[in-house]
Formats: sequence, structure tokens, C-alpha cells
Amino acid sequence: MKARLLTAIIIITSVITTCSRPVYAASDAEKPVTLRICNWEEYIDQGDWGEDEVIDLESGDIFGENSMVDDFEEWYYETYGQRVNVEYSTFGTNEDLYNMLTIGDVYDLVCPSEYMIMKLMADDLVQPLSDEFFDPETETNYYIKGVSPYIRNIFETHDINGVTWDRCAAGYMWGITGFVYNPDVVSEEDASTWKLLENPAYRRQVTIKDNVRDAYFAAVGALKSDLLTSDEFRSRPDYAMALQTEMNDVSQETVDNVQHYLQQVKDNLYSFETDSGKADMITGKVVANYQWSGDAVYAMDQAEEDDYYLNFAAPKESTNIYFDGWVMLKKGISQDPAKQQAAEAFINFISRPDNAIRNMYYIGYTSVISGGDDGRVFEYLEWNYGAEDEDEATDYPVGYFFSGDPDDEDYVLTVPEEQLKRQLGAQYPSSEVIDRASIMVYFDQAKSEVINRMWIRVRCFNILTVPVWVWATIILAICAIVVFLLRQKAAKEKLYS
Amino acid sequence: MRFSRKTLGIPYAVFLLIFVVAPLLVLFYYAFTNGQGEFTLRNLTDFFTDPNTLGTLFYSFALALTTTAVCLLLAYPTAYILTTGRLKKNTVLIMIFIMPMWINFSLRITALKEILDLIEGNLAYHPFLNSVIGMTYDFLPFMILPIYNTLAKMDASLIEAAKDLGANDRHAFLRVTLPLSLPGIISGVSMVLLPAMTNYVVLDMLYNSTYIMGSLIGSYFSAYNWNGGSMIALILLGIICIFNIINDDDRGETAKAGGALL
Repeated sequence: MKARLLTAIIIITSVITTCSRPVYAASDAEKPVTLRICNWEEYIDQGDWGEDEVIDLESGDIFGENSMVDDFEEWYYETYGQRVNVEYSTFGTNEDLYNMLTIGDVYDLVCPSEYMIMKLMADDLVQPLSDEFFDPETETNYYIKGVSPYIRNIFETHDINGVTWDRCAAGYMWGITGFVYNPDVVSEEDASTWKLLENPAYRRQVTIKDNVRDAYFAAVGALKSDLLTSDEFRSRPDYAMALQTEMNDVSQETVDNVQHYLQQVKDNLYSFETDSGKADMITGKVVANYQWSGDAVYAMDQAEEDDYYLNFAAPKESTNIYFDGWVMLKKGISQDPAKQQAAEAFINFISRPDNAIRNMYYIGYTSVISGGDDGRVFEYLEWNYGAEDEDEATDYPVGYFFSGDPDDEDYVLTVPEEQLKRQLGAQYPSSEVIDRASIMVYFDQAKSEVINRMWIRVRCFNILTVPVWVWATIILAICAIVVFLLRQKAAKEKLYS
Repeated sequence: MRFSRKTLGIPYAVFLLIFVVAPLLVLFYYAFTNGQGEFTLRNLTDFFTDPNTLGTLFYSFALALTTTAVCLLLAYPTAYILTTGRLKKNTVLIMIFIMPMWINFSLRITALKEILDLIEGNLAYHPFLNSVIGMTYDFLPFMILPIYNTLAKMDASLIEAAKDLGANDRHAFLRVTLPLSLPGIISGVSMVLLPAMTNYVVLDMLYNSTYIMGSLIGSYFSAYNWNGGSMIALILLGIICIFNIINDDDRGETAKAGGALL
């Protein structure tokens, strides 16, 4: 009987699994390539746009009908004559992704942030990109043809153990950190410094990110505010390098100071948030919110639907520039050229300017793609932000991103003035903000441990701070309970004896 | 082989083995090893020598205890009225208490947040109170149900007997109803206490300023310190085991006492 039951179960499960398998592959002689992609949640165009959402550029309409992944599968078959089957999954934080990989989940292509890319590179888990990927002559190499010179420069000048980032990683989205704030309550000046966190005028009305790296950066910015904003420091010939060194200072002294600072400001803050910050900002529970620029754009967009206008400011001390980028994993690709080709094709496909625009429109972050010879990304910016009324408009140069020359006159937008403090300023920061942007590098094992321990100390409740009267009450309560129980027991024994 | 009733238990046994026993073994392994896989007790000693982790344990415990007490105070009278009251539409009333459980809990917490915000103005000034309210809101049905069940099953003639023997209402309740409903209270308490110590998702959704044991475990894992995180999970498990052992002792005694009463 048991055996029969077992067979029944096996039959049922096998039927279910066969049914759920994709059916199209059957007719193809060639086996489809399976590409396992792991990306951030809600970080790619899922299609299904409403009719009114068409991006009608002069060079043609852009519209997300199907999901990006489906479009890729189709495009890959048309271009390479081979079927690809994308298994798409998502992760919540860089740390989650790393834990998933440690447990043994295998992916071919993942999209972590810059410091996690550095960690994966240091752990030797990353499969370098092929030489063909960098050939601008190939028609379908959209990434290398379209990536912004500004981003490209950063990827080429940073390295891990002598290997530059660009050999291993292709950028996807980028942005800076700063404060989304309600301009009716918070002045621009107050919001433009990390010291907003400690500002008693906004007691319990400002949120900070609940993760150690972002909190650390903000605290360092606030602690070193005087130094970082001094003219002397600003005019140093090696300013960019010096700034990066200061912002990545993990000496014991700084770690202790940061711990002290965060413990101090904790009482002045509304909360440490992981995801609730945007909603709290939109509903007006808080007046300022430490945010990544992409999420800031989202928050501002959402608020505007209720005629509620929020602004974004990048702190004057320094802003943290971050990237998310695609890396192939050695364990997944496992020397399979078909797989590597599909993975690189995926990067190229989503880097095609129209697809980059679709993703940007859908998720609110800024693509690293400037388009190269293809003018559509800039056209999209004009379409999105361009001023309708010339009188109240102002010039906004974005040449640093599109051509590498901040003064390039071909890349100057004419936009309504308030946009400088709103979505545009967050999505494409001015070159002045970019000048004071700093990358936050990955710290080695020992340093990470020190910082993580510091963070737990900040977040935890220290038992030594429990006042004496609480202890006294607890001891009294325990004594009372014990005495009561003993008396009950004695009474019972007396009753039954 | 003959088909017996035991065969029906196999699916559950398999489920238990894969999803409860196996992960528990993994937990034990990580808790007592260091990053290199060597046996160590450091995770344990680290926890009990750090004032911060101990403080979090203390805070979570205070929070959980308060939540449980509030739940009990709300649930017991409710359950009592439901069973003894002359309310005709009992089932409908119970539905009202159970219904919130059918609504997605994240939705409920989001709604609660808005309500609290309306009342308090700024949530950040009352972190402990808000946490207790959030947790109570989430766990109250788990307290009402077991108490209601024991009370409903109780023989009403016992109280009549007590009254015949000269007990007034107060005495009948304290000496008969309350001791006999103890098993319900105990299972209610154990269903609320531990989750309340670790369920940081509720606090996270409210606005995340309180840090409890669950958050601490999360922090350890996101710092890739699986060993420390597992040890904390294990310590919590240990605490609950201790509670259950005490409970069992009590229950044995109550049963004895109940038997003696009859």
C-alpha cells in the first residue's frame, strides 16, 4: 500500500513539473540556453504600460508593452538564432545576495552595488567580461557604445587587486545620496548638510537609512563637516582623492566618533528605516528623509500626484555616489561560451538606449547609459524635463555625463528652475554636486567586522543604561511572586494533609 | 503493508523532518562553530558578556512581557463574556475577533500606523507604547482563541456546585473558573510571548525605531556572521524551552489539584 501511495505521489509530481516547464523548446533542434539572472526587486521594466504612458520622442515612440526579459528572449532569438530561457529572480539587499551565493544558489548574472561587486571580485567569484564585449565596432555592443564617459572613467580608474572594475562589471544604474525634504518646513540650507540629522529644529522628524554603510557615510560627513567645507580643503589640487580618503576613513578613532555621533543623534531622529521612509515622506509623517536619488525621484513623483511638492538636496560636505552593475559569476557561467554570450547579450540589450529609457522611466533610477552617438537618452531628458515656458527656464548643463566635458554646449537642457531642486537634480546631479561626490569602497574583513560591531552597538539597547529603580522593581516583583507561590503551596499542602 | 492510521501521519512527519528538524540541526552546527567550521563556545560567551546584546534581550523581554500581559488582560474578559454571556450571536461575535486574522497582516499594520499617527501626532515619541500596541493588535486573536476554547469546554455545573457550597461569584471565579482555564491561558501566553520577542517585522512596518532580538539576528546575518546569529536564535529557543518546562510542572500540579477538587 505504501509503495502504491509513493508511486502515485511520484506520478503526480512528475506530471506537475512537466506541465510547468516551458513548452516551446520541443520543436527546436538546439537546446535553449538557460540564463539565471538575479536582480534587485522592482529594478527592471515589467512592461504592461498604460496607453497614456507612451514616451513620444521625435525619433520614435518608446513603449513598454512586454517585460524587458520577454523582449530580450525574443531579441536574442532574432539576433543570434538561438533560444535563451531566462530564469529571473530577485534579491532585497546586497547582503542577502551574498548570503544566497554562500548557501549555494547559482546565478549567471547578478546586479549588486559597487562595494559588493568589489567584494565578489576580491573573493574571485567574478567571470571577467570577454574582449568582444568591448569592441565598439560590433553593432550589438550597445553597452560599450553607449555608456557615459563619466561612468566609464570611474570604472576604469578603480581597481581591486590590480583588476579594474570595467573588466568585470558593466554598470546598470547609478545615483547619489541626499535628503528628500519638504521645502515648506525645512530650508534648503538646512537640508544641504549631513548635520540635518542632529538639527534640533526637526527633532523626531528626520529618518536615516537602517544600514551601516549609509549611516556611516552620513555620520562621517557630519563629523568632518568643517574640514570638508573649508576653502582650503576644497582648493587642494588632489581634492577628489583627498575627499574619497576622508569619507572612507575607518580608523579606530573615526569609528568610535561615528558610534558616539550616531548614538547621540538616534534620539533626535524619527527612525532608522529600511523601506518605510518613502511612504512616511509622502504622507508627511517626516519632513526629511535620507534617500538614494532613485528612490528620491520616486518619492517626489508620488507626492506630486497629490499636489505635494518635495525637494532633493545633496549635502554640501560630500555625497555618496553609488552604482549597481552586472557581473557574471564564474560558478554559474562555468566556462560555457553559449552562456557567457547570452549574459553579455543581456547586458547589451538592456543598455540599448530605448531599453535604458524604458527601465529609467519604470524604476526612477538613472541609467549609466548616455547613448553615445544615439541621441535618444538626451532627447528623453528634454522630453521629460524640458521647459514649456521659456521665461522661467534656466540652462542646465549635463555635458559631464554625456560627453565627458562639463562645458559641452551640445548637452545643455533648458528646464524650469524648480526642477534643479527636484527630480532632475536628483536624477542627473549638476556637475557641481558631482565634483563633491565620493565613492564608498568596500572594507576588508577586519574593518567590516569593526564597523558592524559598532553598528550593533548603536542599534542595541545597552543594559548598563537601565536605571537602578527598574532593577529594584524587577527584584521586588520576582520576590513577591516567589513568596506568593510558596504561600499558595503551603496553603494547599495544609488543605490536603 | 497494512494501511493504518499511522500512515496518515507520514506526510506531516516528512514535513517536520525537512522543514523543522533539519534546519534546527543546521542552526546547532552554526551556533557552535566559528567561521572556519571549528567547534567553539565563543558565540555563547560573547552573547552573555556584551552589555548591548544582553540589553536587547532585556528590552525584548520587557516588550514581550508587556504585550503578553496586555493581551491577557484584554483577551480573558472577552473570552469569558463570549462563553458565559447571554449573547445570542456568539458565533458572529467570535467571527469579529477572528476576522482580522483573515486580512493580510501587513495591510492591518499599515492601517494601524495611520491610526496611531492620527492620535499621537508623531509616532517617534512613544516607541515602547507603539510597539506594544502593534504587537497586541497582531497577537490578540492567538490569546483569545485558546482561552475561549477552554472556557467553552468547561462544565458549568462545577460553578453551580461551588455556589451550592457557599462560594460567592468572586470565589467561584477565583477558585474554580480561573484554575480550570489555566491551560488555555498557558497556551495563549506561549503563543504570544516568543513571537513578541522576535517579530520585528511588525515594528519595522510601524516605523522601525525599536530594536529587538529578531532585528539583532537580522543584523548578524547581514554582517555575514551566521554563527553569532544562529547562537542568538538558539538562546531564544532555550528560553522558550525553559518556559515550557515550568509550564508543564504547573500544568501537572493544576491537573492534580483539579483532580483532588473533584
